[in-house]
Amino acid sequence: MTKLVYASVLAIAASAMAAPAFAQDNQECGRVTIAEMNWASAGVAAWVDKIVLEEGFGCQVELVTGDTMPTFTSMNERGQPDVAPELWINAVKDPLEAAVAEGRLITLSEILTDGGVEGWWVPAYFAEANPEITSVEQALQHPDLFPAPENAARGGIYTCPAGWACQITTENLFRALDAEAQGFDLVETGSAAGLDGSIGNAYARGEPWLGYYWAPTAVLGMYDMVMLPFEVDVDEQHFVECISVVGCPDPQVTAYPVAEVFTVVTQQMAENNPVAVGYLETRAWGNDTVNAILAWQMENQATNEDAAWWFFENFPEVWGAWLSDDARTSVESAI
Amino acid sequence: MASSCWGLPDFLCGAPEMSGSAMRAMRRTIDTGFRDMVRGASSYIDAATAPVQSFLNTLEGLFVNTPWIVVFLVLVGITWGTSRSWKITAGAGVALIGIGWFGLWNDSMITLSMVTVCTLVAVIIGLPIGILTARSDRAQRIITPVLDVMQTMPSFVYLIPVVVIFGIGKVPGMIAVVIYAMPPMIRLTNLGIRLVDREAIEAADAFGSSERQKLWNVQLPLALPTLMTGVNQTIMMALSMVVVASMVGVGGLGRNVLQAINNQFFTIGFLNGFALVAIAITFDRASQAYGKRLQRHKEVSDE
Repeated sequence: MTKLVYASVLAIAASAMAAPAFAQDNQECGRVTIAEMNWASAGVAAWVDKIVLEEGFGCQVELVTGDTMPTFTSMNERGQPDVAPELWINAVKDPLEAAVAEGRLITLSEILTDGGVEGWWVPAYFAEANPEITSVEQALQHPDLFPAPENAARGGIYTCPAGWACQITTENLFRALDAEAQGFDLVETGSAAGLDGSIGNAYARGEPWLGYYWAPTAVLGMYDMVMLPFEVDVDEQHFVECISVVGCPDPQVTAYPVAEVFTVVTQQMAENNPVAVGYLETRAWGNDTVNAILAWQMENQATNEDAAWWFFENFPEVWGAWLSDDARTSVESAI
Repeated sequence: MASSCWGLPDFLCGAPEMSGSAMRAMRRTIDTGFRDMVRGASSYIDAATAPVQSFLNTLEGLFVNTPWIVVFLVLVGITWGTSRSWKITAGAGVALIGIGWFGLWNDSMITLSMVTVCTLVAVIIGLPIGILTARSDRAQRIITPVLDVMQTMPSFVYLIPVVVIFGIGKVPGMIAVVIYAMPPMIRLTNLGIRLVDREAIEAADAFGSSERQKLWNVQLPLALPTLMTGVNQTIMMALSMVVVASMVGVGGLGRNVLQAINNQFFTIGFLNGFALVAIAITFDRASQAYGKRLQRHKEVSDE
């Protein structure tokens, strides 16, 4: 008698567990791993993709933490993860071109419709207090206005974290501008936390700050910063051939070109998962949208997941345009 | 939600949790208060850190600008003086020459100057606190949990408030390193003094020693081997934390390691890592050998 009870309990339990598995069988999307890059805009993008692919298309999505070079290397050499939603092409231009030519990776779509904006910035309160400084070149004439943290007798230009591509470009532009002779030193920030912290520290004290930063970012959503233009135009060829090369012998001043930011997927992903790839091809958003999300995220110290859900709640017209009616309804019901 | 919850009611299912808005309000209140505090105190902070800053700059300049052969001889000499062992001294010499050969001399000097200052500061602050905890059970009850927090808190967490208060560079790096490296100094000072033979103290009492005489002439000398272990631990922890501190703009070997991680530069990463290991092993062997020699004196005098 007891055996019968156990058996029926087991049977009920088994069928209860099997039910969701059956429900998923009729979906055509499989497993997808997405790189959740360690900067804010890409982190939110990864969660947006995860939510859409899971809720709208029934994929099983796994996020893996990433950074530009490790993720690129891993995708290129080992075919994992499947998707890098927001890859800044400049940082990996040559190896990416090689990988695309050999058919290992595919650049799918431009996720940021405005592209990535890079430049040298000052706090807005500083720009207001010093209206005569309207360009990088003019700022460089006043090293006294930007005392370096380790040596107040020199001016300081905060550079990019160690090992980032922008560290190279900033260093080359620094030499092109002959900033050292004008009394400036490059200030090593070490990490993204160090760079952000230096802006936060300047803002907390209301002090001037001059250095490299980029958009779309939470920091620029949270702190009101003004990008100082260079007095020359963009020379893209020189930028690629010299400014982004370590130790370029004769750097010339050029403005930063707008960075191309693409969604990159592996070849296997493109072949085996048309559902997910179809979505990723149409998905794109503007810097205004991203800045708004990141500003909200930072203000509320929300996680990437929270920020993605906030985006679904507040920008239905943006994500609605990416999806078919069916998928849109499924995502809506999940909000 | 996917979790089945075994059919339990909702309030037994998820862990009790404060509401999202209350949590946000709390975080914002703390962060705003923190920021206002920084804004109000920034001039005092600058005044207080300026001498530390110039001291660090001077010392780094001294290490980096002194001709390598002088630094080399001094370091090898110190190793000989503390260890009195040919093997350890020769090992230190080879390690230093290797560091120079692979082009890491300047970065190693920057790291060494930081570790030197941080260890000194940690010992200067840690020793009196250790003595205090050894003499008062109440102080020990208060300080021990603080040390537990200092040692278990992930070291990156220190960097957040430190950067907002002090900005980036050597001073915030030094503060983070000292916080991280000081606890073993305090713990082992406390332990060393508490382990001093009761009979030795009684003898000192019998000869009419004052508290001060007991501390300086009996307790600290007898605790010296344990104190040296504390110094050794502090050096090791400072050395590892100095790498983490490169995330807030402290230069040296740590910066190269960070750069190597970000770019997947395998060789550079390992060369810099090995330079750190070489420095660490040299420090460790030399200070341990010194500690052992102190112990031998003690054993001799015990007989």
